[in-house]
Amino acid sequence: MKRLIHRKKAGLFYPIWFAGPAIVIYGIFYLIPIFFAFVMSFTDWNMNRFMEPVFNGFENFQKLFNDEVFVRSIGNTFLFAVTTTIGKIVLGLALALLLVKPVKGNNIFRTIFYMPCVLSTVVVGILFNAILGRDGLLNEFTAVLGIKPIDWLGSYSTAMLWIILMEIWMWGGFCMFIFISGLQSIPQEYYECAEIEGASKTAKFFKITLPLLMPSFTVVMTLNITGGLKVFDMVYILTNGGPGFDTQVLNTYTYRSFSMGFLGQSCASAVILSVIIVLVTFTVNNFLKKREVEM
Amino acid sequence: MKARRKIEKTFTFFVLLAVGIIYLVPILMMLLGSFKDAGEVLQFNLALPTIWHPENYLYVLETGNILRGYANSLIVTVSAVIVTLLSGAFAGIVIARNSGRSSNALYYYFIFGLTATMQTVTTFALLKVIRLYGSYFGVIMVFVASNLPFTVMSFTSFVKGVPRELDEAASMDGCSPMGIMLKIHLPILKPIMVTNLIIVAISVWNNLMIPLYFFNSSKKMTIPLTIYNFFGMYSRNWHYVFAAMTLTVLPVIILYLCLQKHIVAGMTAGAVKG
Repeated sequence: MKRLIHRKKAGLFYPIWFAGPAIVIYGIFYLIPIFFAFVMSFTDWNMNRFMEPVFNGFENFQKLFNDEVFVRSIGNTFLFAVTTTIGKIVLGLALALLLVKPVKGNNIFRTIFYMPCVLSTVVVGILFNAILGRDGLLNEFTAVLGIKPIDWLGSYSTAMLWIILMEIWMWGGFCMFIFISGLQSIPQEYYECAEIEGASKTAKFFKITLPLLMPSFTVVMTLNITGGLKVFDMVYILTNGGPGFDTQVLNTYTYRSFSMGFLGQSCASAVILSVIIVLVTFTVNNFLKKREVEM
Repeated sequence: MKARRKIEKTFTFFVLLAVGIIYLVPILMMLLGSFKDAGEVLQFNLALPTIWHPENYLYVLETGNILRGYANSLIVTVSAVIVTLLSGAFAGIVIARNSGRSSNALYYYFIFGLTATMQTVTTFALLKVIRLYGSYFGVIMVFVASNLPFTVMSFTSFVKGVPRELDEAASMDGCSPMGIMLKIHLPILKPIMVTNLIIVAISVWNNLMIPLYFFNSSKKMTIPLTIYNFFGMYSRNWHYVFAAMTLTVLPVIILYLCLQKHIVAGMTAGAVKG
């Protein structure tokens, strides 16, 4: 009994004000703006009447969904999130499978593949601008093969393709490391047993490796899908939404309405993105968690 | 069987080598281009410069505001990291050690931020209203706030794994709660501190969006924005652009090569827990 009282006392040991700075900073600079974004998305708030926004119901949302560019940017956002996630998983898993075995130069390769992750998107974006321009490095290579120079960022399909490839190039190595640590945690005995039973290589991969790698898939999928939906830098630097408004995504659309002074509309667009992110995260997480197996 | 293994191994090696070259080509192009003259660089190839022009770097240092960008990035990153780590650690300790409804509520208060998205427009308005728009302090606070959910969560789960008996023993010996945190918890928390330090530092250093929204003068711009503006102004002078980029990238790459183990472990641990 005495011990119990002591425990209880110990439980109330740390005064809550130790958490004060974190509570206050996070509350003011993160939560309050989120709350107000929901409110302001129902107003005609703009830069000229900064202090006197008027409620206008669902007008912003109506306008957005009637705007071709906005609908297109939702499409682009999903296209980017899904394709980059698949691409990063394929590249990351392939590299992880090759590098988890002892290969010559193993550590050097790991270092190289991971390097883009620490670079800023701005630098990577400008580098790809140099590569993809009309006189860029890529056209130098294709010229050797006898292909006419292409303005890679000049049309929607190639511009979007390269935004996606650039993201995969940058973060493939990151996924590789998550998969490597996942692969290393699979007990070797499973493979030995399968060997004795005479299982083929493909059977081992699909019956042992993939199912036991599910936790890594959950991490990589949720992380990359939400990250992909939030894309901003990549598009802003490489194409700035162009050519025209073709490669606009939700976050660059929000920034564009913001810089034109349409604050209410910009809030509405950001709110739509947040709702999409929450819905997608929960669905993906639930879907994948069910598929994880006990080791 | 052995011969097949060997073929497989060499095949793997060459596949990796090919992918590795794809990874290195852009960086090599930047490095070589930064030493070329204005005409030669426009060929965008991987040839060595016919005449090396190290003076490109001098020109960029004199005109590009790169050093000011560095100073700004250092101010913002170092302050954001210190404030995030300290306030996050204290909050994490309180949440992990106090039982009951209030600490539970506090936990969900912070966890909410992991699925929510930062709202830039209203944050801009808030900074404007409280007169912090365009100031270092405002931008630092926004960085701290957006990094806190993850930091608090990771500290909470780490402290939960530290045996309570340590606290109790120290308190029996007459140590105050503050003393326990500083003398017992902080040293034990070192590994999770390093993880958070790396995650927060890299994300703040490379962030483009927050300075873009919340700084209004070029005097306070951090490295990513400085480089972006430099690119906008000198887009015809690729040799200068490459030199400017090399200047900003080299320190990061050198740091990465030295601290690689910690960085990779930190960033992947962060991902797995997030």
